[in-house]
Amino acid sequence: MEQLILSATLNGILLGGVLALLVFGLNLIFGVVKIIHLAYGQFVMLGMYIIFLLMTTYKMNIFIASLISCIILGLLGILLQMIVINPLLKSPRLNQLLALAGLIIIFENMAMVLWGADYRGIKLFLPVIHFGFLFVRTSYLVAFIGAIITLLGLNLFLNKTYVGLAIRATAQDLDSTQLMGINPKWVYLITQATGGILSGIVASFFMPIYTVHPHFGSAFTLMAFIIVILGGMGNFLGGFISAFIIGVVTSISAVLTSTEIADSIALIIFILIMLVRPQGLLGIRESR
Amino acid sequence: MNATSFLKRKFPLAILLLGILILPLLSPPPYLIHIITFIFIWSYITTVWSYMGRFHLVSLGHGAFLGIGAYISILLFNYYNISPWIGMLLGGMGAALIALILGYACFRFGVIGDYFALVTLALGEVVALIINAFRDVTGGSLGMTLKSVGTSFYYFQFEKKIYYYYVSLVFLMFALFLWQIIDRSRIQKALHAIGEDEIAAASIGIRIIRYKLFITLISAFLTATGGVLYTQYMTYVNPETLSGVGVSLAIPFKAILGGMFHLWGSTIGTAMIVSLEEYIRIMYGARFIGISQVFYGILLVALIIFLPKGLYGTISDYWQKRKRISEEQPKMKLGFLR
Repeated sequence: MEQLILSATLNGILLGGVLALLVFGLNLIFGVVKIIHLAYGQFVMLGMYIIFLLMTTYKMNIFIASLISCIILGLLGILLQMIVINPLLKSPRLNQLLALAGLIIIFENMAMVLWGADYRGIKLFLPVIHFGFLFVRTSYLVAFIGAIITLLGLNLFLNKTYVGLAIRATAQDLDSTQLMGINPKWVYLITQATGGILSGIVASFFMPIYTVHPHFGSAFTLMAFIIVILGGMGNFLGGFISAFIIGVVTSISAVLTSTEIADSIALIIFILIMLVRPQGLLGIRESR
Repeated sequence: MNATSFLKRKFPLAILLLGILILPLLSPPPYLIHIITFIFIWSYITTVWSYMGRFHLVSLGHGAFLGIGAYISILLFNYYNISPWIGMLLGGMGAALIALILGYACFRFGVIGDYFALVTLALGEVVALIINAFRDVTGGSLGMTLKSVGTSFYYFQFEKKIYYYYVSLVFLMFALFLWQIIDRSRIQKALHAIGEDEIAAASIGIRIIRYKLFITLISAFLTATGGVLYTQYMTYVNPETLSGVGVSLAIPFKAILGGMFHLWGSTIGTAMIVSLEEYIRIMYGARFIGISQVFYGILLVALIIFLPKGLYGTISDYWQKRKRISEEQPKMKLGFLR
């Protein structure tokens, strides 16, 4: 039993890495554009389909396919901002949320029309490493390392470049940023493009782990949200830490009970933390 | 208001109601009756949702209450043969209990706005997951079929659709009537003040927690009865269609697109969405699987962008503006002549 729990913990940490990867883009968009991007999981789903298409039909290398899918998703992010989100920036939060929920319907069914409802995956065999009784799936390990590299890269982008400074400034104080001569429309576009590229990165790391189907995204979206809010909206480190908390909690309770109970435990933890600390674990409470 | 203007105002409504009442006597196709019944049921649920929604108390978890009501009633009926009328009461009470616990916690700790929406969203998913987890009892995502007993008023089952047509009409009328009662009471004024600014409302002595809990409990209870109504009509439930994120978002969708701040908004929104969904499904559904849903999604997003106040809200605002202009016009002329 201890062995089981120990290996569940290890897998939970690795799953936390995968979830952390998922959360970065969402966190960025949440922090800067202040929009709840409900269709983010669907972006990842589309990215996986693009990689699948490029690898099977055009026989491309996985690296090139991932690169192309990142570019396409970045463009899709810009399109999303221009067509759907810009007209809704001033409208109530509920309207924005429902417009993005409408996008879920569009994306999922588009994928259904184009690729059918079958489960699609690529043939990529990564070995399973084992230390004593602990088994580690290399694909998870790769995603874990990828998450850390992406976090570092994103950190460099946000802290060391001028555009990154503009993005952070817009996230902190929109009015003062406009006084400093930064056009928030451009910052939003760049943020959405970055978010799209990040979802492309997620898709490339998910490709060896999961098989993709049209409803793939919705399985992750809610969990990703919970992690973002748990860590504090727009707080990358908080998101990173809470991804591990959720990963470990779900995988240990999945071993002890069942996956549904594990997911509902994660959701109940979310509700409880929301009641006590609505700003999230590492968030700063805004004055009301 | 004198009697003639009252009659004039209510005349179109009376004609509409009469039309709805005698429609089944003209032996229309069963499909039409089915769609209208469906619109009544969902309008009822959406109207009940907008009791909360109109005071900026946006819940994205009404799927939880639907699921609790429907499953409590169907489980009691299938396993213990307890009448769904009693099940409706117990289901409503179960939903109200959950609403009481979560609502009290939220309102006590000051969880408002987006945070309240997200907490309730999680609640809807928790209920769906729990229904799935106890799949030995509830059938999990395969769903559950209602035991058939033929036509029996006691067991709330009828072989003909037409009975459900009238029953759900009564439910919808009740929800609209209750809306009117709430609208004319003190509660509406208090909740309106709370919705605008909670701290200001508290400072003039409005008991925030009590009022918010009251409306939440009513909404949760009635939503659960709506779930039972749906179950009895469809004779089949599954966690995907009754709780979880999808349906929890579909209810506010209908309310928003109709105009949730108006009495008729939810009904009109539901009628629009359900008929749109059916129309697109019939026109394009058979040719390409999924393409009908893509059109539907595009239309929804476009409607949200271009009619942010909802169909009824936009139209009634437009009429009011016109009325105001036409009332102001003669005064201006008089002033000019003088």
